[in-house]
Amino acid sequence: MTAIKWNDQQPIFRQLKEKVVELIIDGEVSEGEAVPSVRQVAADYQINPLTVSKAYQELVDESILEKRRGLGMFVTESAREKLLESEKDQFLNVEWPKIMQRVERLGLSMQQLIDEKSTQVEDK
Amino acid sequence: MTILIQAKGLSKSYGSHQVLKSVDFSVKRGRIVGLVGPNGAGKTTILKSILGLTSYDGDLKVLGLDPARQRHQIMQKVSFIADVAVLPRWLKVENALEFVTDVHPNFNLDKARYFLSKTNIPMQARVKELSKGMVAQLHLALVMSIDAELLVLDEPTLGLDILYRKEFYNQLLAEFFDEGRSILVTTHQIEEIENLLTDLIFIRDGRIILDATMEEVAVKYIEVMVSKDDAAKAEALGPVMQRDVFGRKVYLFEGISREELEPLGELHSPSVADLFVAKMKEGK
Repeated sequence: MTAIKWNDQQPIFRQLKEKVVELIIDGEVSEGEAVPSVRQVAADYQINPLTVSKAYQELVDESILEKRRGLGMFVTESAREKLLESEKDQFLNVEWPKIMQRVERLGLSMQQLIDEKSTQVEDK
Repeated sequence: MTILIQAKGLSKSYGSHQVLKSVDFSVKRGRIVGLVGPNGAGKTTILKSILGLTSYDGDLKVLGLDPARQRHQIMQKVSFIADVAVLPRWLKVENALEFVTDVHPNFNLDKARYFLSKTNIPMQARVKELSKGMVAQLHLALVMSIDAELLVLDEPTLGLDILYRKEFYNQLLAEFFDEGRSILVTTHQIEEIENLLTDLIFIRDGRIILDATMEEVAVKYIEVMVSKDDAAKAEALGPVMQRDVFGRKVYLFEGISREELEPLGELHSPSVADLFVAKMKEGK
């Protein structure tokens, strides 16, 4: 894993959890692949092992990771799908309504947005 | 046994000067506890008491034993690194290993050889020929090879460069610490270990002024960056400290809920260093 710069607005276990989620969604860690041990992550990032365990445990509870006895922690076969599903939910239920509010406040029409999108694509 | 250290009314005086004023604290198994305080606050006296290196008043139990009278038994399960390196300068590395093998029943020679093989320390070298960083590595290799339940670190990385300091804690986490052991550490480089700690103890003038788990600290102490317009509202809630950042005010609150503070601005967890400064100024 790459270096993480911790912010002071969220507990570190949550930031670590998000980092793991990101790695899985981006396909940097594949389904069925092992994640580094608690000890390894703790040593690499100089954070308490309990912090790492807490992040991993939440991911186990959400069926993103699974513990295989004696072998360690693995990404479940359905992890990516699950995460994409919940990210989409999050976007549609939380972020999108906010964007829509802003669109309405600015008085933008759907047609304007679509035109804008196609010009942006052409620019690329 | 889940409690490795239990102190009740621990006191110590040098003549008429009382350096420890009846302190109570405990260290549980599987924890990494930071003991933080300014010079002369009583940190070293606490550590020395735990290691049976000084007399004290009050009640102190380490692994259920009395350090003043049962030091020998305690030292089989407790190891420590002090800020003053105590390895004799003329000692060869291999002799140091032999020596610890002879005197310590829980020392694992193979482990020590393995740890040293990962460093650039030659077995034939004498301590005086090693750099300060290497002496620290040697110390750590010896200490991590002892099957101790409690490791006491007194300014373990003092005077080391950043690479050695990082490597030091990396090694401890990768090769030594687990849920069966505890580490009690004092350091002035608090920002390096704050994410490592499970518990935090602040000491000032021989008294403990904060003793909490890191989770408790995160709930109890919250920093808010407030715009000038809301400054009066923030001040009404009784912040324990304030500072100015880019024309805005940053207030530190103790024991005020997130719900109450959220309307005032962005909430942050204070760094241990900032919290330390605030607690040291309190009431002065």
